[in-house]
Amino acid sequence: MKEFIINTDEIANLISSLPADKWDILAPAKDGKSFDYILSSDKPIINSEAPPSKISFKEYFFPKSETLFYYKREANEISLTEPKFAEKKLLVLAAKPCDAASLPILSKVFNWDYKDEFFNKRVNNSVIIGLSCAYSDESCFCTSVGLDRNNTKGSDIFLTPFNDKQYVLSVVSDKGDSFVKEFLPNLTEFTGTKETKEFIDNKPFDYKKTKDWIAANFENKIWAETGEVCIGCAQCAFVCPTCHCFDIVDENCDLNCGRRIKNWDACQFGVFTKHASGHNPRNSQEKRYRQRVSHKFDYYYEKFGEVLCTGCGRCTRGCPAGIDIGEIVFSISNQ
Amino acid sequence: MPDLIEIAKGLLESKEVSFIIGYTKDRFGRVKPYIAKSVEDANNLMFDHHSIHNLAVYLTRLKIPENGKVGIVAKSCDIKAIIALIQENQIKREQVYIIGMNCSGVVTHSTDEWKKENIQIKCKYCADKSPMLYDAVAGTAEPFEQPDDTQAVLMQKLEAMSSAERWDFWAKEFEKCIKCYACRQVCPMCYCEQCIAEKNQPQWITTSPTPAGNFSWNIIKAFHMAGRCVGCHECERACPMGIPLTLLTRKMGMVAGKEFNYRHGMAIDQPTLVGSYNFNDNEDFIK
Repeated sequence: MKEFIINTDEIANLISSLPADKWDILAPAKDGKSFDYILSSDKPIINSEAPPSKISFKEYFFPKSETLFYYKREANEISLTEPKFAEKKLLVLAAKPCDAASLPILSKVFNWDYKDEFFNKRVNNSVIIGLSCAYSDESCFCTSVGLDRNNTKGSDIFLTPFNDKQYVLSVVSDKGDSFVKEFLPNLTEFTGTKETKEFIDNKPFDYKKTKDWIAANFENKIWAETGEVCIGCAQCAFVCPTCHCFDIVDENCDLNCGRRIKNWDACQFGVFTKHASGHNPRNSQEKRYRQRVSHKFDYYYEKFGEVLCTGCGRCTRGCPAGIDIGEIVFSISNQ
Repeated sequence: MPDLIEIAKGLLESKEVSFIIGYTKDRFGRVKPYIAKSVEDANNLMFDHHSIHNLAVYLTRLKIPENGKVGIVAKSCDIKAIIALIQENQIKREQVYIIGMNCSGVVTHSTDEWKKENIQIKCKYCADKSPMLYDAVAGTAEPFEQPDDTQAVLMQKLEAMSSAERWDFWAKEFEKCIKCYACRQVCPMCYCEQCIAEKNQPQWITTSPTPAGNFSWNIIKAFHMAGRCVGCHECERACPMGIPLTLLTRKMGMVAGKEFNYRHGMAIDQPTLVGSYNFNDNEDFIK
């Protein structure tokens, strides 16, 4: 892995030198709630000690609402038009390891049988600059799902704070390599040793064992105990970097035109599994919560060999009912 | 003053209630809703400045046995929701045993430190720090330093705006909405078995989290709260996108008070504002 030294002025120069007609730049928003586009004149916030943003950057790759096509009827002829797709490139700056890692996870599900060209185009058009993380709280558990503070999964380039105002820039992918060659050709190579804070996971679990327990405990009181407290909103799914369920709907503009749209959906909603007949196979919050945990730590693992979770803790920090998924999986692993 | 845990133990031991909806702390000290089902469970109950959740929402979410009774730990703002549910015939008075808590204010988010800046705005204008309906009372209400009512300042600013400016303000706020429906699910007054947002024949609300869909959802939700919101601010607390939803509900509450001298959730035998008609009702808003 090639490593260079980069300082904050060089990062600011990079931001202002990227041509604005070709590149959008995304960075954690100042209010800590989300990611936001920044202007080339902005000083980016690069803070490895900041908590994860309230909502992940997933919406820039898998938007909360996306038009698939427009339809129009004229004299009994129906015509379809594809939406215009912005060909601009996207630079994501200072993504936490638990954010960046979500892209390869989402990629598996969006390329499993059907290749989702919307998602793939966005990922291919992006360069992710990950940032080593120095934050942790009771809700974090990245080390239990195979990640850590310095994990480069999903990043093209990775920054690790070094001295004051300096970072070690590691080139992770070919895409990252081309980006550095094109936009940062004059960096000094780094030959020293990096030191980073150790992450203390306060609810460690072995996700490989958890899977077997979930598979064997479809009926267990743990689901009822959580389900009765869960209020059935989709906060957890929508702030999650890896939840990817969607609903396809048609919206008419008038009798003769409209568009087909893909919107975020979530398994915690009662209507998610409700059949047209009125029958609902997941007719209680207990069953819906079991689905959430099972999908993340059993079904996805079974199919793709990893868990559908990056341990970022967003779902827990924001849960209106105080439910901690890490604590649930931790208690499962101690059964 | 009897202790919360002692009251709860007595209720569960005598089987007067089948369970008690209350608060507990997890092993990191974070406060969360908790259902105590046994005398041993009752030991886990607690109440403090971090008991922010309005547990009245569980009275319609959980199944209460037909002729049974459940216990609930409630602050005065939560009790208003319980009274409102009784007024709206969703539960019967005899189905709930209310353990009213004397309240010394609560923080905005469960992990916030207890200090002036973190106290909920609702505590600033709360006039009912002691329970108004209860079967037992616990805790002591300590005086606390009142938070600044920054919301009232913002409300005045909004009132001074032209309707076009106000539209722009809300368009910007509603644009953030991701349609997670946390505001609906956490609301004790949102108990419809089928929400209007889920109806598709006809479809009143476009389901997409787009400007049109977000406007129709948030405005319809606010309309359905007119004269019904008890001011617990749970919708705003639950919103992951930080939309200031209680600006709407608080304003409507003020209008109900001014025009009809009505506050929802104050007396179980009072007819509801939208469910009753009075010849003396002010009609000067009909033009």
